[in-house]
Amino acid sequence: MNEATPVRRRSTVRINTTSDQRINDSKTQSQYQPYKDAAWGFINHWYPALFSEELPEDKVEGIQIAGIPIVLRRVDGKIFALKDQCLHRGVRLSAKPMCFNKSTITCWYHGFTFDLADGNLSTIVANPDDPLVGTTGITSYPVEEVAGMIFVFVREDDFPLEDVPPLSADLPIRFPENSEKFPHPLWPAAPSLYDEGAVALGLHRTGQSNWRIACENGFDNAHILVHMDNTIVHALNWVLPLGILPDHEEPITLIEDEGGPKGMLQWLFTDRWKPVLENEQLGLKIDSLNGRFYRTSVVMPGVLLVENWPEEHIAQYEWYVPITDDTYEYWEVMVKVCPTDQDKAAFKHRFDRVFMPLCLRGFNDCDLYAREAMEEFYADGTGWDAEQLVSTDISPITWRKLASRWNRGIAKPGKGVPGATKTSSIRMRRLAEGKAPGYFVQKIEDVNNY
Amino acid sequence: MQDAAAHQVTLAFSDGIEHALVVAPGSNVLEAGLAAGLPLLHQCRSGSCSTCLATLVEGEASTLPGCSSSLLASERAAGQRLLCVTGAQGDCRFALPYDSKVGENRAVEGHAFINAAEQVAVDVMRLELELAEDCWFDFRPGQFIQIKVPGTDQTRSYSIASTPAELPKIELLIRLLPGGVMSEWLLGHAAVDTVIQISGPYGAFFLQDSGKAPLVMIAGGTGLAPMMAMIDVIRSKSGRKPPIHLSFGCQSAEGLFHLEDVDLRRLWLPALTVTTSIDRGPAPDGVRIGNPVEAVGADGPLDPATVAYLCGPPGMIEAARGHLQALGVAPGNIHAEQFVAS
Repeated sequence: MNEATPVRRRSTVRINTTSDQRINDSKTQSQYQPYKDAAWGFINHWYPALFSEELPEDKVEGIQIAGIPIVLRRVDGKIFALKDQCLHRGVRLSAKPMCFNKSTITCWYHGFTFDLADGNLSTIVANPDDPLVGTTGITSYPVEEVAGMIFVFVREDDFPLEDVPPLSADLPIRFPENSEKFPHPLWPAAPSLYDEGAVALGLHRTGQSNWRIACENGFDNAHILVHMDNTIVHALNWVLPLGILPDHEEPITLIEDEGGPKGMLQWLFTDRWKPVLENEQLGLKIDSLNGRFYRTSVVMPGVLLVENWPEEHIAQYEWYVPITDDTYEYWEVMVKVCPTDQDKAAFKHRFDRVFMPLCLRGFNDCDLYAREAMEEFYADGTGWDAEQLVSTDISPITWRKLASRWNRGIAKPGKGVPGATKTSSIRMRRLAEGKAPGYFVQKIEDVNNY
Repeated sequence: MQDAAAHQVTLAFSDGIEHALVVAPGSNVLEAGLAAGLPLLHQCRSGSCSTCLATLVEGEASTLPGCSSSLLASERAAGQRLLCVTGAQGDCRFALPYDSKVGENRAVEGHAFINAAEQVAVDVMRLELELAEDCWFDFRPGQFIQIKVPGTDQTRSYSIASTPAELPKIELLIRLLPGGVMSEWLLGHAAVDTVIQISGPYGAFFLQDSGKAPLVMIAGGTGLAPMMAMIDVIRSKSGRKPPIHLSFGCQSAEGLFHLEDVDLRRLWLPALTVTTSIDRGPAPDGVRIGNPVEAVGADGPLDPATVAYLCGPPGMIEAARGHLQALGVAPGNIHAEQFVAS
């Protein structure tokens, strides 16, 4: 009598099949599956949060990294970072900062008050005897400040504080201590954020693409074509090749020392890479005069170092900090060692007049829009399977593999944060007001007029 | 006689949940606890496997007359007891090394589709299932499911090689035996989209929370399956990873399988070292000749805090227990799942 209920499959999504005639065939791809899974970034790493000058004494700022909302406050010079999401009902503490003393921050909605040092719920404004007090709290994040930059260790709620590595484990290798291992006969030792007298000048801004697209652009040797018409290249008559091809069994060396940063260095401007200066078929020839030697390396969680750029004794550092799966905070920072105030002023002068407009803007603007032009192909995740990589793509492929090995965790898709739901009405309203999805919390400026 | 009275026994789970129960004279604590519906882990019920290990923190409790326990005298002196052979000599209290939710994954019955069935070695089949709409469960890495062999009333048990995060997909590694009912069915009839009946999860063999203690995993043949699940779960956990040594062994080169999958884990998890062994040659590159048990501890002494997981045929489990204990691994830290050929 009884008819059995039919057994049905769950609904499934089929992914396009792909050709094997490429450098990233399915076997290679499987080696970097964790990287393909990291749409929201890698977690349990150090990321830059703000420039020091953006967080003066007693200021409160809210940002978002890898889907995690973070509130920062500076008290007596020291910076504290907590999860910017009240445990009560998820309100962002930074939207309307309320601090009654130097050791806490209070949620302005229902008065839940958290210790800055460890995030513990220390009282509730109108409910000081509530049994919840002292039993719970919000996640705290370790903070370091170096050379005018504030770094936060963005961790999962259960990542043990005793397992937090030093910031140096997530910053590029230093010179001259690595000069023997990675010789650089064509330029002086690159300055580091940790060097005495190091000055970091730069900017950070939001790009509308996935952080991986942005990061790979930085050390992709075939991408220099996008820079062929940049003003600074022509103004200074730089020889910027059409492209650079690997020409050695080890064009890239992995950086995997225990306790140190994990990444890779590309032997540019050595016999391991061949610059391409001409394409006869297209009638293209680079005949500028001034050699512009540089070298790129990248370390986890996506920190680029360009040595000898844009001129001697300066290095450019970049971060591509995931905000959501389709926005990242692009950090462009130039570092120079300035022993005296006079040196510092001279660097600032040249930075403001030349490097900011022509390099960090002009030259790197080009990268920003190039990444955005690539974004939609990858937006639904299938681009990673459908792309047709070629031999120069040894750089991103090597990076993807090492990132799959050395990441300390894959960020989960953001929950209850901006960008987690792409079509919320509040997001739509902000767009209509001309505010693109970004990095900072939008603050309530005037309490009586909204 | 002092044991003539029933005593009150308190069992404290690691998450703070406590249960008090009365244990009659002559009964063991495990029996009384299971009768009271407590989620107590157990397997052999005869004082050997150490699954029901607990620590006596208050009162008096010792091995019942006529029973024996595999614990060393020093471990007993440190308060360790195997609940399946332990009686209470007075009111007492035990601490359990696992939380009260462990027993929550109650087994369910349902259907699954075959997504893929491929022979990956001379005697091994990889079976990928997908839970049908009528079936859902959660499990701990290391646990197994049962499959009803289609067209028969027989069931077979297989450890899950995939992780809970991959549900509704489930991967199994199945040893093919000449003439075995499941093997015959798999080779002759299993096809993509075939529906089979399953139940699960089962088993007290699963990844324990042992913090940063080094892990040793010894897998014989398809005993690799639960290790894959555990390794993948460890990989996705937060915090610094414990060092893991996976020692995988098969009889011969033709029996080796899943090496690429193991290599990927080695690539993705710097804390993982792998030794692959075959009993007899010739051995391909990177594979040693010998058994997977001896490969453990060959490079130096083991950390006394080492936690071991063993899965394979009974002979391998027994040899591994002896070998590990001789290397100083505490019996309570050795977790084993042995499979029987069928």
